[in-house]
Amino acid sequence: MGDFKLTTVEEMEAATARLLETGAKVGADAWQIRVKNQTPHCKFGEQGICCRICSMGPCRITPKAPRGICGCDAHGIVGRNYLKFTAGGAATHSDHGREICHTLHEAAADGAYKVKDPEKLIRIAHEWGVETEGKDIYDLAHEMAEIGLLEYGKPFGYQRFLDRMPQHTKDLLIKNEIAPRAIDREVASSLHMTHMGCSSKPEALVKQSLRCGLCDGWGGSMMGTEFSDVLFGTPKPIDTEANLGVMNADNVNIVVHGHDPSLSEMICEYADDPEMIAYAKEMGAKGITVSGVCCTSNEVAMRRGIPMAGNFLQQENVVLTGACEAIVVDVQCIFPALGPLSKCFHTKFITTSPIAQMPDSEFIRFNAHTAAENAKAIVKMAIENFKNRKPDLVYIPDMKQKATVGYSVEAIVKVLDGVTNSQVDVTGTTKPLLECVTSGVIRGAVAMVGCNNPKIRPDYAHIELMKKLIANDIIIVASGCSAQAAAKAGLMDKRAKDLCGAGLKRVCELADIPPVLHMGSCVDISRMMILVSELAKDSGLKISQLPVVGCAPEWMSEKAVSIGNYVIATGIDTFLGVDPYVSGSDQMGALLTEGTRQWVEAAFTVETDINKLVDLMIERIEEKRAAIGI
Amino acid sequence: MTLFDRVFSGNDAVYGLTEQAINAAIDQYGEDKAVSFPHTAYSLPCYYAVTGTKVTNLKDLKEALGVVKTLMTREKRLNDAFMSGVATALCAEFIEVLKYIDGATPYEEPLYGHLADAVIRELGVPLVTGDIPGVAVILGSAPTAEEGVALVKSYQAQGILVTLVGGICDQVAEAGMSTGANVRVIPLGKDVTSVIHVVSVALRAALIFGNITPGDAANLMKYTFERVPAFVNAFAPLDDVIVACGAGAIALGFPVITNETENIFRVPKSLIVQTDVSKFNATSLEARDIKIKITNIDIPVAFASAFEGEIIRRKEMQVEFDGSRVDCCELVQTKEMSEVEDHKIEVIGPDVDEMELGSKNSIAYVVEVAGKNMQSDFEPVIERKFHNYINCIEGVYHTGQRDMLRIRIGQAAFGAGFRLRHIGEVLYASVKNEFEAVVDKCQVKIYTDPEKCTDIRHNVAQVTFDKRDDRLKSLTDESVEVYYSCILCQAFSPSHVCVVTPERLGLCGAVSWLDAKATNELDPNGPCQIITKERPIDERIGEYEDVNEAVRKFSQGALEDVSLYSIIEKPMTSCGCFECICGIEPLSNGVCIANREYAGMTPIGMTFPELASMTGGGVQTPGFMGHGKHFIASKKFMKAEGGVGRIVWMPKELKETVAERLNVTAKELYDIDNFSDMIADETITTDPEELLAFLEEKGHPALSMEPMM
Repeated sequence: MGDFKLTTVEEMEAATARLLETGAKVGADAWQIRVKNQTPHCKFGEQGICCRICSMGPCRITPKAPRGICGCDAHGIVGRNYLKFTAGGAATHSDHGREICHTLHEAAADGAYKVKDPEKLIRIAHEWGVETEGKDIYDLAHEMAEIGLLEYGKPFGYQRFLDRMPQHTKDLLIKNEIAPRAIDREVASSLHMTHMGCSSKPEALVKQSLRCGLCDGWGGSMMGTEFSDVLFGTPKPIDTEANLGVMNADNVNIVVHGHDPSLSEMICEYADDPEMIAYAKEMGAKGITVSGVCCTSNEVAMRRGIPMAGNFLQQENVVLTGACEAIVVDVQCIFPALGPLSKCFHTKFITTSPIAQMPDSEFIRFNAHTAAENAKAIVKMAIENFKNRKPDLVYIPDMKQKATVGYSVEAIVKVLDGVTNSQVDVTGTTKPLLECVTSGVIRGAVAMVGCNNPKIRPDYAHIELMKKLIANDIIIVASGCSAQAAAKAGLMDKRAKDLCGAGLKRVCELADIPPVLHMGSCVDISRMMILVSELAKDSGLKISQLPVVGCAPEWMSEKAVSIGNYVIATGIDTFLGVDPYVSGSDQMGALLTEGTRQWVEAAFTVETDINKLVDLMIERIEEKRAAIGI
Repeated sequence: MTLFDRVFSGNDAVYGLTEQAINAAIDQYGEDKAVSFPHTAYSLPCYYAVTGTKVTNLKDLKEALGVVKTLMTREKRLNDAFMSGVATALCAEFIEVLKYIDGATPYEEPLYGHLADAVIRELGVPLVTGDIPGVAVILGSAPTAEEGVALVKSYQAQGILVTLVGGICDQVAEAGMSTGANVRVIPLGKDVTSVIHVVSVALRAALIFGNITPGDAANLMKYTFERVPAFVNAFAPLDDVIVACGAGAIALGFPVITNETENIFRVPKSLIVQTDVSKFNATSLEARDIKIKITNIDIPVAFASAFEGEIIRRKEMQVEFDGSRVDCCELVQTKEMSEVEDHKIEVIGPDVDEMELGSKNSIAYVVEVAGKNMQSDFEPVIERKFHNYINCIEGVYHTGQRDMLRIRIGQAAFGAGFRLRHIGEVLYASVKNEFEAVVDKCQVKIYTDPEKCTDIRHNVAQVTFDKRDDRLKSLTDESVEVYYSCILCQAFSPSHVCVVTPERLGLCGAVSWLDAKATNELDPNGPCQIITKERPIDERIGEYEDVNEAVRKFSQGALEDVSLYSIIEKPMTSCGCFECICGIEPLSNGVCIANREYAGMTPIGMTFPELASMTGGGVQTPGFMGHGKHFIASKKFMKAEGGVGRIVWMPKELKETVAERLNVTAKELYDIDNFSDMIADETITTDPEELLAFLEEKGHPALSMEPMM
């Protein structure tokens, strides 16, 4: 215990500064420089009052010009921008889910992709009313993949996974016309509504934002998560490490980056191949180290214990180490900057998806049929690149922390089973967690999600919020770049229990868990929705009554806005540290921070002062406790 | 009301009562009146452990109450509830200590109240070996006396130490159940505040064995949470005061199991509602992760370590076998594999039902074992366990060893159908269970035919005993190639390491060099590991490089170096469960030894508990050393300081136990006859001046030895 210490943001910044010196030496650009160049940002854009959806404009709202050429006011413009932003995110997550459905459809007993968790597939099949008896597991997989794909375009009905919600939530959504229909329809309808001359009424635009978000969280994302588990295994607790120090100067370093596990799973498979390791040794390396950035990293960390090199704003740092033989990317959150940056080093920047094609990259088109060959070729390319490394440019910050990750809902329930008493309790429920909450041992839970954003000191908000929350006996489930910030700091090390209040500390000790539970990538926020639904069902409370809130303090992407919408639409108050370009409309502000309660019993809170943000969350949790008398 | 509100309210109530009680005591006796618990070196043990401050009089106590008040914070966090629970416990201790003013004896048999330090030190070894797998604290009245007694008995049958508080004390008394420390059922008292006396045991264990610094509350609670396997069974109704006490228990890591269903909250592994009292046992063991070693032996009475201390009096006795009057013996013999039929039990001669009620009879039981890894050196190791095995039988009592043994079978056990064959079953199962690594096959022959017994005793047993004694005499520290470490106690005393040599057994008295060797053979990666002795540094004090390396490794770096034969230079550490402690008596230039059972004063000016509190917890304390009784007569005892000739004082009873062997050693070392007569005891004096005069009169060798310091 004595030698455990969190890594501070200052230490991480010092490491970054040292890497930027290397960058300066080779004339590399960096986001830190680009932020300066882009500052100050466009005020109209920041407030969401710039409209360029038709070619009569662009129109900008000012006191002198309160309406656009078509007559739309600030509220309509902000509302449409907000909905378009949401639709972008929902489309992105859902398309990721669609890719996974296609991969499932390609799964074969003798293929590159197999069904690793057949039980889970059968469980979902039963949920969907699909007969499984006597069926070959791959036949079932293909049938389920097809049904899943139909969720994107089915002409009638709501998303199948809504049946997982507590009845109250589902009824509420249907009653208020927020229950999501076909996924593609919600995205398309959103873009339809925001077309010139359609909706300009904030209520309608916000309602559709919620519905569009829900088709992501309870549709595309959830399928992405669930079928990834079927294909690659449902995560269970596994030890790994986080931060740049996981890269190994003696080894061939392959960094996987992006979001879709289909590619990275294959890379990991081949990097582990004795033949490849032997080849790496032949080329003068001691071995092969695969590490990850962003949510691809989360996916392979959760399932394979592959170490996490860093999160979103650390993607350039992995190249700046001078020790990265290849950075292999799939989709989403990949800086186009990686292309030019890789040219300053020996690093190969390999793009693989038709969705994310970039200049200055080597494009190896990856698909399910040729996955194995593609992966092998990529690993080989990295190995052969080892000799091109420039030793005088190599500097890997000696900075990493241990982390226990892999807390899927299934794994959390299993952990909870471990603290039940077989003489009095049933297993397979969230009741032990509820007992901790109702007794006051744990005050509540916060779902920490989201990205990094240069508008907030990177990782600072994630780490500082988490530290204060756990000290107040509030347990954290984290995903995405937030989870990686926690892991880099050491908050996913079980020894971090000593930073908790007495209640959470005792829970960590008894359940043998870290105080911040890694639930996966950003599509895996769907796991959090399932968990909170189970808590509601097991307690008989509404989701909105549970002392649980969501938080995205450093969010930046369209996906994050989509997530925010489905989290509040599920009944969970959500706290943002960055304004979603709505400050230009008081009506939109009021709707998002209060008005949505009339439909979904939850709303956003936006507070850019991080210390205030955390206090507001603790306050909300205590209010919710008081309201149900616990 | 929330759970925390209940804790806070209970805490406030107890605090109020405590304040009144202290004020009333001050009014009655004045501030300077001394307050203390008997037979402890730890003042008010709970308050001392938590704060590091000793309370000596009512003025201190009043100040202490002010400190307690600072723990009573009221944020809605578990820490506040925990601290309020601890504050409640401390208040209880204050209320209890007031009962002992003026040397009062507030608890009359069968109630115990405060427990002496010696009791805790005795618990050390059985707790680490799992002989006592847990400690139950039962509070309140069971729904019916039958259910209460059944619960207590269920724990007792598992060897769990049971402490009782409140109505359950009366329930077991009314049922006529025999209670007491010897049968591991200890009624503490009827007031809820008397629960502090078992908390006091847990906290003193942390100070004694865990080397926790008094006042280091965080590590104190970590120690009890991780290492003291206690739990609470609290019967409904639970008022706020009991809920507050429960918070204190949970803070220390002890789960509370209750049948209360009104206004109660559930907390996994900590506060568990079990409405079926008959399942309290299973629920509690699971909650505290206590595993019971299952020795399923087919006998008509219970078999559990809790019965080890049970005594069968003459009037309760069916028959006895008495080696001091007729020919008896117990023996382990190594045989060839082909000569042993596993689990064969023979009774040769009359059984108990053919013997007269109250009669004295012969018995010789021979346990024949065979195994690939069996060595004749292990025979006495196995044989010494017979005392323990037979004593664990409910209603059967065993003392002595070899051919000087006595067994009594009680009428109740006989009535339940207990016969001699069952002794065979117990020996068979226990030997196979405990020595599975060396004993592959085992059979038992029980002779009661007097002629056969005479023959076996004289022609088989005594011949074997003589051979073994010769072997033991030849076993010296110099004659063996290796020593052994023993870290059995580390579950309790994490940095203590014993180095066990032929002439220096473990300080608990339970692990001789042969025991350690057998233990190593049974489990090469277990608590006893081989230590080579190839690189001596200083033979005078018995220091070896190899030994130091081992000690460093096994203490995780807590200990640098130890000597085997000195009490001054790098003395060996103690875990806390030592049989005896010796300490320097400066005036006479010698040492005094006190044993755990001795409750009186020593010429050093300290009692055993006070002396014992000077060391323990795996820390080196020059001038003080814990050791086994057997070590006293060893030629290696304080060899560096001149040997046993330094011993100037011992309690009479201890002196009598070791006199014969000690005299032999003294004769050999100094050519002194009857050396034990030169050693003073409490019947002679406990005053250092008088001691000196006595030693001068006797011409004690210590007076002419070089100064020790």
